[in-house]
Amino acid sequence: MLEFKDVTIQYGQNVIVRKFNMKVESGEIVSIVGESGSGKTTVIRAALGLLPGDGRVSAGDILLNGQSVLSNSREEWLKLRGDKMAMIFQDSGAMINPIKKIGDQYVEYIQVHDKMDKQAAYNRAVEMLSNMRLPDPDRVMNSYAFELSGGMKQRVGIAMAMTFNPELLLADEPTSALDVTTQAQIVRQMMEINKKYHQSIICVTHNLGLAAYMSDQIIVMRNGFIVESGDRDAILNHPQNLYTKNLLSAVPTMGGERYV
Amino acid sequence: MSDRQPVLETKNLTKCFPADGGKTLTACDNISIQFFRGETVAIVGESGCGKSTFARTILKLHDPTSGEIYLNGKDITKLKGEASRLERQNIQMVFQDPARAFNPKMRIRDIICEPLLNFGRISAKEKDAVAKEYLKMVELPESFSDRYPHSMSGGQRQRVGIARALTLNPDVIVLDEATSALDVSVQKSILTLVVKLQKEKGIAIVFICHDFSLVAQFAHRAAVMYLGNIVELLPGENLVVGGAAHPYTKSLIESIFDLNMDFTQEIKTIPGEIPSPIDLPPGCPFADRCSVCQDICRKEKPKLKTVAPGHQCACHLVKEVSSMQNAS
Repeated sequence: MLEFKDVTIQYGQNVIVRKFNMKVESGEIVSIVGESGSGKTTVIRAALGLLPGDGRVSAGDILLNGQSVLSNSREEWLKLRGDKMAMIFQDSGAMINPIKKIGDQYVEYIQVHDKMDKQAAYNRAVEMLSNMRLPDPDRVMNSYAFELSGGMKQRVGIAMAMTFNPELLLADEPTSALDVTTQAQIVRQMMEINKKYHQSIICVTHNLGLAAYMSDQIIVMRNGFIVESGDRDAILNHPQNLYTKNLLSAVPTMGGERYV
Repeated sequence: MSDRQPVLETKNLTKCFPADGGKTLTACDNISIQFFRGETVAIVGESGCGKSTFARTILKLHDPTSGEIYLNGKDITKLKGEASRLERQNIQMVFQDPARAFNPKMRIRDIICEPLLNFGRISAKEKDAVAKEYLKMVELPESFSDRYPHSMSGGQRQRVGIARALTLNPDVIVLDEATSALDVSVQKSILTLVVKLQKEKGIAIVFICHDFSLVAQFAHRAAVMYLGNIVELLPGENLVVGGAAHPYTKSLIESIFDLNMDFTQEIKTIPGEIPSPIDLPPGCPFADRCSVCQDICRKEKPKLKTVAPGHQCACHLVKEVSSMQNAS
């Protein structure tokens, strides 16, 4: 459903991503892993038409269901975002308006995308929040962002992204700011959603274990290039590229080599 | 263990903060732990468990509410002013974010030598030579001594942080999440360096960390904290599925995405979230989220008891193993 064809992305003269190819099928979970500066976040920002500053796709094409999205106008993007594709940010707390209650901005978000009256929008929001297993969703709706914990804010962010059942969910380090138990809860919920609604998910992460657990396809990036891609078994057990091998051996593991 | 003298020891160390409405937030509750030369002890736990407060309290950046801190057998809890300043030479800290820990207007040479100049151990003339010596020790080019922190990468800056902490030849170094902002390959190279320096100098390291996999590879012992309490104290190699005794540690280990995990099983987790550490009810701090909680867990707080040599656990449901070395 989403395809990147030889995509090159640059900020001004600075080429960040080179000749990036990726094919995401419907219902598939793809993880992009790599160290900082590898260009992984830039890739998913491009998919959503959200390259910051003077960033642009300078070569290649991005196709959504066979149609190029690169020449989309602002209005066309607005139609796509939220309905067809949505993004989960690393820190949903930073996405949420701090001086507005969760409920007010959630209802506003729904009404921007759908002609719904206030009460219906409110009910939809509460339903989404309870789907994310947030205890007492009415209280959450009546809270400000600072009154919620990091895990709760992240759940609100995912609930908002899921509201219109988008075909494609883009997640940028969705759990890296969270504790391990909360991370496991959120990942379980994302996978439940994926099973139930068959969304495609592209997840950018630096956590190889998480990528291996979630994904059908893992893409390893370095300095803007794809160094290797494949399924879990190929990447974890039969890596071909030296960088992938080094990366795997640097990841701390329980029961792995001890240095003391 | 009893024949060895701990270089640093806390006895019933408690740190409380006042909270709104006259309530009390207990960040560290009755912590007794010993640190030995040449040994790395990790303090691990999720956010809000009190691990950073513990680190700051042993450095006396906070005054403890009660309990004592012994450094080389000497009670340093009540030291004030100059005496406290002098004692601080023996215990140094490496911070999580060296970009913020350093003065951006100082050159690396001055950053590394500042502690030595503060204590009058070298003269300003010797700065250049000393800085180069320490840069070499942390495997950085000598030419870096002219640089400013902003023109270095995160990993390089953290090496400078380590160099600076080493200058005073401390007995103890506290690493407060010192590598958590770094990429895994950089993290590994820095920790390998730390291990090497530790072996050469016999430093005791207090390794504050939230990453269990990292602790499993780099710590001799790990103290697992939950809501201000040490719930389990275990050898680093026990941080694997099946190695821990406390229900909290076990569940935590099973909720980690690890390359060695069984990918065919659904990841486990602990339901709910960590409760607020304000005005905790009596009983076990983990009782509300524990899957095997009993009546006694809500009434009485479990104490640390030895469950195997070098392995202590605070849980009513884990059987104590009688041991001669079980200290108090």
